[in-house]
Amino acid sequence: MSGYDSALSIFSPDGHVFQVEYASEAVKRGTCAVGVKGKECVVLGCEKRTTLKLQDPRITPSKICKIDNHALLVFAGLNADARILVDKARVEAQSHRLTLEDAVSIEYLTKYVAGVQQKYTQSGGVRPFGIATIIAGFDSNDTVPKLYQTEPSGVYNAWKAHAIGKSSKTVREFLEKHYEEDLDDDKSVKLTIKSLLEVVQTGAKNIEVSVLKAGNIIKQLDVDEIKKYVDEIEAEKEAEAEKKKKSKD
Amino acid sequence: MDIILGIKVEDGTIIATSKAATRGISVLKDSDDKTRALNARNLIAYTGESGDTVQFAEFIQANIQLYSMRENDIELSPKATASFVRNQLATSLRSRKPYQVNVLIAGYDTKTDTASLNWIDYLGTQVELPYGAHGYAAFYANSLLDKHYRKNMKIEEGLGLLKLCLKELETRMPIDFKGVYVKVVDKDGIRSIEGY
Amino acid sequence: MSDPSSINGGSALAMVGKECIAIACDLRLGNQSLGLSNNFEKLFQFGDKTFLGLTGLATDVLTLSETFRFKNNLYELREERSIEPSTLANLVSSTLYEKRFGPYFVGPIVAGLNSKTNEPFICGFDSIGCIDFAKDFIVSGTASDQLYGMCESLYEPGLEPEDLFETISQALLNAVDRDALSGWGAVVYLVTKDKVTKRVLRTRQD
Repeated sequence: MSGYDSALSIFSPDGHVFQVEYASEAVKRGTCAVGVKGKECVVLGCEKRTTLKLQDPRITPSKICKIDNHALLVFAGLNADARILVDKARVEAQSHRLTLEDAVSIEYLTKYVAGVQQKYTQSGGVRPFGIATIIAGFDSNDTVPKLYQTEPSGVYNAWKAHAIGKSSKTVREFLEKHYEEDLDDDKSVKLTIKSLLEVVQTGAKNIEVSVLKAGNIIKQLDVDEIKKYVDEIEAEKEAEAEKKKKSKD
Repeated sequence: MDIILGIKVEDGTIIATSKAATRGISVLKDSDDKTRALNARNLIAYTGESGDTVQFAEFIQANIQLYSMRENDIELSPKATASFVRNQLATSLRSRKPYQVNVLIAGYDTKTDTASLNWIDYLGTQVELPYGAHGYAAFYANSLLDKHYRKNMKIEEGLGLLKLCLKELETRMPIDFKGVYVKVVDKDGIRSIEGY
Repeated sequence: MSDPSSINGGSALAMVGKECIAIACDLRLGNQSLGLSNNFEKLFQFGDKTFLGLTGLATDVLTLSETFRFKNNLYELREERSIEPSTLANLVSSTLYEKRFGPYFVGPIVAGLNSKTNEPFICGFDSIGCIDFAKDFIVSGTASDQLYGMCESLYEPGLEPEDLFETISQALLNAVDRDALSGWGAVVYLVTKDKVTKRVLRTRQD
């Protein structure tokens, strides 16, 4: 590859910045994360690696991170890189409160995170963050759910529902097919879990879900709650298969 | 000549702060709240150079909040909070322009189930006290509290003692401080007490 | 009256006896004339048989006690032994001199027994770290003048531990009673080769 990918973030003659593209590659290898916007809520879900036998699940950090009382971030890619980016976002959220007396808006937060990621594609002596993020939340005194995504390049987009990480294409296509406007809380959670089940074979114990609502309400679902949804979904699938089989006969 | 006053009782800490905001000879406001909640069970009350006070209190508030965000919603204990504030003031003292802020920190530690009152001045002098005040109010309040304070008082008794102090302050202080806001920090968090 | 080293008040004293030392301080912390706390100890232990006393501006007493705790912890990890009194004295000296042109307003004293020989060691410092080695006693704080007077008249060399305790207690108590900024309780640490005893003294509360 003629040396353009070895040093820093430098253009190759055909306009690529290889380091950034490699960072996106790291994202694709990271465990999958999903965000879904409902009528009055945003749901974030992600695949959770199985905790090893001797690992303490209570103190092993989650991939869904609280940035402020009203904002969550979920990422796909290098866990270690995410820690740094998440910390920068938290400091900015508090600093914004201190100087402007207001909590950050979700768009501002996204722009900030994307801005940091961009900086690491253009400065010397650094490498890009190997993570993509989904940022979700509600602006203060507002009931409109917000959902954004950022990439290692610094690009950001707003979505109704989105997936990043491993097999995100499958999940995204699933979401495109099944997403409906103005889903209620229950259906939003169900869609999130259903989409994750497309790529997570091992069921509830490998899924993590948080629900965000207006007024700083953040609810992390426990395994039993997730399992209830998973069982429900599987029962439906079976019924569906049964029906198909009958109509074939 | 602001009044900030704190009394620790058996199961909580009471904080009273004067409502008047003064500049020179004028009272600019009669509803000034000189406290900030740092987290669920830590309250800071402040006096000092106007401008410095709010800026400093909110800076501390942001840092304590940031700690909770970073540490998975764990809240900093009153002891650690007070140490952090002291350290900030002590560092600031030897800077080009030190913060001129005196504070009281009322806290409740859920780990040990103990209430605390920390007295910290702009120099970074920190002491844990059963009762304390900053400024001129300290002279009147302390002598009254020396006589009437008992260990293991209930919150209601503490509030009664506070009434006694306020009556004395109203008669002895040279200007009208427009009454006080009273807040209690205990195991249930921070709450305002009405009717003062 | 705006002298930083006499805003908060407080005094400390160390004495050498026969194969023992004693170090004592008052418990007052005030704001000018107003007493704030009667539970503000100014003595800090390092290792088994070494003590540091810090009088002066309370914020600096707190800052330095934390600084020395930090430095001592690092020392113990690096050297795998506890610090000797004479080593602590030099550590205090160099730490204070680092701030030669913007000093900490404190009057530290160090007292202890050598961990191997059990030889008594005491010394005092000025606020920029000049060490004052002494064979008999060291005084510090707002009642230092009175303490000098008491020590000069009560002290005699080669006292047994219990006699040393009596001497240092009387010297401190009677000195701080003549100082408005010191008193409000007192503590004495008596260090012999195999024991450290702490005694809290009953004092006048005015």
